[in-house]
Amino acid sequence: MNSLDRIAAVVNFKETDRAPVIPQIFGHAAVFNRVPLVDYLRNGEKLASCQLTAQKYYGHDAVFVFMDACVESEAVGSTLIYTAEQYPDVNVYALTRDSDFHSLEVPDSSRAGRMPDFLKAASILREQAPDGLAVVGCVLGPMSLACQLLSLETALYLAIDETDRFEALLDFCAAVAINFGIAQIRAGVHLPLIFEPVASPEVVPTQFFRELIAPRIKQIFTALKDGNSMANWLHITGQINAILPLYPDIGVEIANFDYCVDPQSAQSLLPDTCLDGNLKPYDFVKATPETIAAESNYLLQQFSDRGGFILSSGCEIPPESRPENISAMVHSVRAKG
Amino acid sequence: MMGSVMQPLISALLEGERVGALTATKRLRAEGLSRERIITEGIEIAMAALDEKCTLEQFNLLEIMLVGRALSAVVDFLYPEGSQPPKTKGTVAIASLHGDIHDIGKKIVIMVLAANGYRIIDCGKDCPVDKLVNTAVNEGAMAVMVSGLITSVIPQVRQIKAALEEKGQGNVKVLAGGAALKQVSAHDLQVDYVAQTAFDGFHFLKEKL
Repeated sequence: MNSLDRIAAVVNFKETDRAPVIPQIFGHAAVFNRVPLVDYLRNGEKLASCQLTAQKYYGHDAVFVFMDACVESEAVGSTLIYTAEQYPDVNVYALTRDSDFHSLEVPDSSRAGRMPDFLKAASILREQAPDGLAVVGCVLGPMSLACQLLSLETALYLAIDETDRFEALLDFCAAVAINFGIAQIRAGVHLPLIFEPVASPEVVPTQFFRELIAPRIKQIFTALKDGNSMANWLHITGQINAILPLYPDIGVEIANFDYCVDPQSAQSLLPDTCLDGNLKPYDFVKATPETIAAESNYLLQQFSDRGGFILSSGCEIPPESRPENISAMVHSVRAKG
Repeated sequence: MMGSVMQPLISALLEGERVGALTATKRLRAEGLSRERIITEGIEIAMAALDEKCTLEQFNLLEIMLVGRALSAVVDFLYPEGSQPPKTKGTVAIASLHGDIHDIGKKIVIMVLAANGYRIIDCGKDCPVDKLVNTAVNEGAMAVMVSGLITSVIPQVRQIKAALEEKGQGNVKVLAGGAALKQVSAHDLQVDYVAQTAFDGFHFLKEKL
């Protein structure tokens, strides 16, 4: 089986030669290649090259076209602060509370901000990655993008004070995600995951997620699936038990769960959905390879009867992680078979 | 008896209703209640109820922010600019460290602590350790708090306690929190406590200081 076969099989709870292993290697690929993070994040060729080198070394089942959580916001018009070795953040937000959310234009992904470099990375990875290796893209979820366009505080207060206007903004953000996601698929991505950290129950109540966010995520997944995305992968961090039961209706086929979510709880809340997780990200910096191997084996054991599992980290593996820890995670899957 | 008089304010605060909380406060003042009583028998009771509600499973930022906004409106009304501030339970210096330009977690901590009677010195985001430590020393802080969303600030966190000790302030408690730092033990971070939520940090201060 190749990586794509393996992923397709676990999504459908079919037998595989081994569990897929997909450490969430984003900025770590730059550090691993001794490329300044700021260059990796702004140059599609460098991003692709670093991802390929890291994948060749570790042997995991996917490469990621993921820059940071500001790509879409910058493309819409926000200005960012870049530093050499950190992910950027928004300096000046593209929108204010008084903006007309009905007249916003979806950015042209062939020209806006870093989107062209993102798409270039996708094309290179699809062309140069070993046959059968998954190329995973990323779009920011509508709630997270709304916060990246207005600031978290302004967006949350707007959602409560002027819900209709906030929904118009969410609709725009969903349109951005669909447009960018389809462009990624056309450029070579097999599946763009939806990264939606602000939708976590640690940030907004479950009712808020159900009423305002879930319908838009479902809309995005439907459009991406129509555009030939391989699977609907949703990535929400933190303690998400309260919203997991809503995932099947949204169309989630791969559900990321963070280190603070108990694997058994996740399984019982989502019995028929493939789960990916949930090693603690900081352990890749601090722990030993023996610890990572033990934690990986524990997770593989937890899912051995059920299947439908991708061994992964709960969230991004920190850029400064120790390579031997990532290797230990990948080796544990290969050793188990 | 006082509970029923204060109930509209307490309820409005807990619902995050800014206008309702302000209206209730104005009514209480018009009825002759002192600012201090409104704080101790209204605001602090509301915060205690919020604290009880905000368990690790139920904590969410939006509700806390709405309460914080209502609370700010009430406090600004009770203590307009230039008036004598209320008595505090102590001073806390807080920051997001150099390289970390996220501060929403810090803002929540400030809201929770300010509402519970602490004086907060906000050193901002992207703050060097020496600035935070010097501020803490100069302002007579009882505690230093750092919020971190990225793991790369961890080496800086480890410097804080030692920097305070160098200045003869080893008794100042150091607390860490935020998505990245709460994955790490207090021992590893060389701090006194790692708070899982803003209220968790508040409990530590209340119990230890």
